[in-house]
Amino acid sequence: MQRLSHTAALILKALSLGYRFGFEIMEVSGLPSGTVYPALRRLERDGLVESNWEPEDEATQNARPPRRYHQITIAGKAAALAVSERYPLLTRLIPEKQA
Amino acid sequence: MNHSLPTPLPVLDRLLLRAVSHITPVSERADWFRCWHAELWHRRHPYSDRVHGAIDLYPGLLSDAVWLRVECWRRATTGTAVLCLAVLASMSLIAMLPLLALFSRVELTIAFLSTQMPRLVIEASLTTVVGFALASRPVESSTPFEGLRFMKAKLFHASKLVLVQIIAYELSLALTQPFHSVHALAMVIVQAQLFTLLALLGLRWNFLDQDARCRHCLRTLASPSRVGRPSWNFLESNGTHLTCPDGHGLLSIPEIETSWRQNSEWIAQ
Repeated sequence: MQRLSHTAALILKALSLGYRFGFEIMEVSGLPSGTVYPALRRLERDGLVESNWEPEDEATQNARPPRRYHQITIAGKAAALAVSERYPLLTRLIPEKQA
Repeated sequence: MNHSLPTPLPVLDRLLLRAVSHITPVSERADWFRCWHAELWHRRHPYSDRVHGAIDLYPGLLSDAVWLRVECWRRATTGTAVLCLAVLASMSLIAMLPLLALFSRVELTIAFLSTQMPRLVIEASLTTVVGFALASRPVESSTPFEGLRFMKAKLFHASKLVLVQIIAYELSLALTQPFHSVHALAMVIVQAQLFTLLALLGLRWNFLDQDARCRHCLRTLASPSRVGRPSWNFLESNGTHLTCPDGHGLLSIPEIETSWRQNSEWIAQ
């Protein structure tokens, strides 16, 4: 398994806690957008994260454009577990997402 | 990409989106545009009491587009024959730098290298003969390998061979030339031996590199995967499969040479 940077670990941890959108991750991690969005792309390229579009109908009903959301893959979950062991303070940095 | 939004994006956002979208590769532009259109819209219209500006998303928008462009270039060039030749050509120029420092002028360095040319040709020819004699494990192919693809592959192989020999020669000169005034004859002998060693190492790499490339597009093969059971050496074949990133075929390399499977085999898709 490849070693992740602290930034990638932070983003992966946020995704594993249920944050799905780019600027949600920015807010919860305190990272700037210029770091978060390319990092999400890299994680997606490496198969740790996958992204999908919201259903068009749901967005239209709410009179808003559909958004792309990110979710962690099985490989990403394994990587998130590994980074939690490597960076134990990560769990304290990001709070659990409230439903 | 148009969506019937209750409130459209501000002019600045729309202008920025349109301008930055030209950085992204054409194949991913529509998706990128749609994604960032939605991100900016939601940033300006959150479903909460807090109202955000979208300025903090602008660096993300730009760096995302740049990342896509760089990734596109990376995917297009990684492992290609052109990149390999460009790197070797750059290395031959870098290997010339110590000589340039020694002679302190470009004209003097070029004049010196010109005087060395006959020796380079003789030494390179000899090491090439030895290099080809030492090359083993030819690759068999299930499909005929001839015509333009064959010519391209051979031309690439020959270009690498020439560049590797030039780099080896420049390095051998750079390492021995400073001591030439101490003992000229000894340094000539040392230089020849050093060149032979470096050139043979380079030729060995050249053959290995050539074997590990796609027969169709000459890209470096990737994704090595083990096949077969190592403990069944005498019952079935086992080894490693390397595949072309563009899906042109795979190279099957046997773990050990057996009477029924001696060489690597290229299997075209």
